[in-house]
Amino acid sequence: MQKFLGLIILLAVAAAAAFFMFGKEKVASLSGSTPKGELITVTGRAGSEKINFLQSNKVQQLLAGQGLKIAVKKSGSVEMVQEAASDDDFLWPASQINVESYKLNGEKVGTIQQSADIFNSPIVLYSWDIVTDALIKAGIVQHKEGVNYIVDLPKLLTLIKDKKQWKEIGLTQLYGSMIIRTTDPAKSNSGNMFAALAANTINNGDVVTVDTVGGVLPQVKDLYARLGYMEASSSDLFDKFLQQGVGAYPMIVGYENQLVEYSLQHKEYLPLLKSKVRILYPAPTVWASHPFIALNDKGKKLLAALKTPEIQKLAWEEHGFRSGLMGVENDLSVLEVVGLPKSIDAVMPMPSAAVMDKITKQLSSF
Amino acid sequence: MKLFQRLAAVLLCLISAVISGCDQNQPPQQQSSKPAASAPVSLAIVAGSENSALEPLLQQFAREQKIGVSVKYMGSVDISLELAKGKASQFDAVWPASSLWLSLGDKQGVIKNAKSVMRSPVVFALKKSIAQKLGWDKKDVTVMEILDAVEKEHLRFAMTSATQSNSGTSAFLAFLTAFAGGPEVLTAEHLSNPQTAEKIKRFLRSVNRSSGSSGWLKDMLLKDYLYFDGMVNYEAMVIEFNRSLPPGQEPLFAIYPVDGTSIADSPFGFIAKGDAAKEAAFAKLQDYLLSPAAQDSIQAQGRRTGLVGMEAADPAKSAAFNPDWGINLSRILTPIRIPAAPVVSEALNLYQTAFRKPSLTAYVLDYSGSMAGNGVDQLRKAMRTLLDQRIAKEYLLQASPEDMTIVVPFNSMVMNSFQAQGNDPQVLGDLLAKVEALEPGGGTNMYVATAEAMKMIKSQAESGKYHASVIVMSDGMSESGLPQFNAMLQGTGLGKDVPVFTILFGDAKPEQMKALAEAMSGRMFDGRVDVVQAFREAKGYN
Repeated sequence: MQKFLGLIILLAVAAAAAFFMFGKEKVASLSGSTPKGELITVTGRAGSEKINFLQSNKVQQLLAGQGLKIAVKKSGSVEMVQEAASDDDFLWPASQINVESYKLNGEKVGTIQQSADIFNSPIVLYSWDIVTDALIKAGIVQHKEGVNYIVDLPKLLTLIKDKKQWKEIGLTQLYGSMIIRTTDPAKSNSGNMFAALAANTINNGDVVTVDTVGGVLPQVKDLYARLGYMEASSSDLFDKFLQQGVGAYPMIVGYENQLVEYSLQHKEYLPLLKSKVRILYPAPTVWASHPFIALNDKGKKLLAALKTPEIQKLAWEEHGFRSGLMGVENDLSVLEVVGLPKSIDAVMPMPSAAVMDKITKQLSSF
Repeated sequence: MKLFQRLAAVLLCLISAVISGCDQNQPPQQQSSKPAASAPVSLAIVAGSENSALEPLLQQFAREQKIGVSVKYMGSVDISLELAKGKASQFDAVWPASSLWLSLGDKQGVIKNAKSVMRSPVVFALKKSIAQKLGWDKKDVTVMEILDAVEKEHLRFAMTSATQSNSGTSAFLAFLTAFAGGPEVLTAEHLSNPQTAEKIKRFLRSVNRSSGSSGWLKDMLLKDYLYFDGMVNYEAMVIEFNRSLPPGQEPLFAIYPVDGTSIADSPFGFIAKGDAAKEAAFAKLQDYLLSPAAQDSIQAQGRRTGLVGMEAADPAKSAAFNPDWGINLSRILTPIRIPAAPVVSEALNLYQTAFRKPSLTAYVLDYSGSMAGNGVDQLRKAMRTLLDQRIAKEYLLQASPEDMTIVVPFNSMVMNSFQAQGNDPQVLGDLLAKVEALEPGGGTNMYVATAEAMKMIKSQAESGKYHASVIVMSDGMSESGLPQFNAMLQGTGLGKDVPVFTILFGDAKPEQMKALAEAMSGRMFDGRVDVVQAFREAKGYN
């Protein structure tokens, strides 16, 4: 009897611990609310920035609650719409442009059954404390209400075009010329969208069109030609930025959610991240709306699940993706990471898919 | 059942919480919610040789997790050739010194989830007194200053081959970038600039010893420290070197050229062939290598770890990074940008065929009776790999116009000797035809043939224009021994400037082959499994 008593106490403690550790949803599934029977496996591709989100235990649990299991392959947004295979139930690139480009390509592996924007994530630059301070002094970045805005992107791009050295803006600790590193625009969306932002910026802030793109392409191309080898995914670039530090990666292009997600997954580094790493918001910036493409009924089921409030809340609070749904508020106070604005107000439209196609082709020939 | 598994996981976590604190972000319940693999899983890893010091960590993981882990160490070029096989590769995971080799090799896109395990800059390390005399302990040093000092002070240093070992490739690309005037990134145009070519040639031709492996280079320098002033190698190897020095010897001092530094980032990635159990095992091993405990242990061995920046996150754990050796963790390192893949390939071809110091190689080949049949077939295949320039190019081992190739076949005496100059495919083809026409017979005495080969190349070797070496392949017990060999060299003035590499084959005695190589500052390669591979490795050392 004593043995059993011990076991009962242990189980009770365990149940209580489970409640505190995993939160209510998981206890719900512990008590058997998960539907019985086989989960439907939904197969597809997603950009690297969403892989941690899709593979997190909590998201998988929530999806299981709806009878779904996900088999996802990391794939660059630009590449995935070219390389989709017939066993894909869904494609989840980062930008509406990628959807347009899938359509332009003739919807090769399946017609789009349904598509919807799931998140809204601005393109940002990540940088370091000393670089940001120098950019503030140079009048390129402005610090307003705890947020760093790149208010003079044209000036920054001009300095880079003119091969100015870091020391010429007072940053004597850094060797070499000013640079913004991005992912490969022919493979990954963040590098691709920054090319659009740069093109618009060089075009005096007007969205480039089929008629105007030719005039700005040489300068955009020059910006990218100097980068050398470019990473194929935004998560790889972000990891290298953090690990190799300010000397190797003074500034990179990324998504807003990356730092939020990273700091939650590596809480022990939060103080260091807060003191050293800066998020810079181009004003205006461009949105990555993370449109989900359902290629069949299984894909549609996953699409519906991703729009549920629980998943949208989790996406913001643990992965830093602002909701792409109308009327959903994102509460800043739940995040520990600093430097995020409550809302992103200055946003510029992306050029059309045909124009983007031109830009991408020009930048693919290195 | 599921309920029980989850509870069991919670219990387990509770117990471990008592011991070590329970981290909510670790996914213990994920592991238990997956069905346990019915068959034991094993991972075959192909890794760069500099990772061999970390093998105890892998073995510890294997024991704890009951996952089989085997590691094969290869040079960077071989790793990228292996990756080019895509799904046909025999390996499950890859761990090269730098992600450069993934981008060059992974043409079919089979690598998944590659993450950097640790970082190490490639440095120019000099005896501390020399660094101080040059004032380099107190100022930023440029690549041009290094070239000037190397030439004026006649510094003797070692560096691995840029086409065989990543530390050599990285330093070569970094120095080339600096010599091209420090462009933001190296392009094809820079490669064809004669002034750039002239400078990189001057630098490479002042290298005294080459090697195919960074770890071996460090060990060689330890053994022959009298003959050298320094080496180009990973910061981690400089730390290992200084830690292994006998008391009283002066340490090496690391120089980080401001315009020519590179960082090896040691990515560990999965070779996806569709095996989910292996993929899960890989993920576990990767998580383990990136866990705080493993990262601390890696950092204690002189590799930089930590997730944010190149500074060690916890100074208490950075004892390996001794400032007296020039290692300053708070220095901001600006590595050169890795060029686009086609530019790297072209730069490596130019290294091999135009820039590097030419090599003077004497092949001393066993044609004794016991080589008949398979032995001689294998030997011919090995020589074809090196002399047929189309095959040699695949391994980045092609000859340059200034190379000298000598072949000395032997049995109990020297049978003949052939020479070829340069890299004309016709000339090398003729040499190959002569080698292939030889038939085995008679006894074995490698010592007499090796001594003879050394005498043949003596005057050219002494000119200092070449990386001179002798590669001896033998398949049987040799008559006479090392004392007789030494006697034959007496009075010739030949010493360690001409290293002897030996290739063990057939029934050769490892003791004889090893003793000869080590006495002559070389290395023995075991060709008993794959003699072609052994020849390639040996050739990669000069």
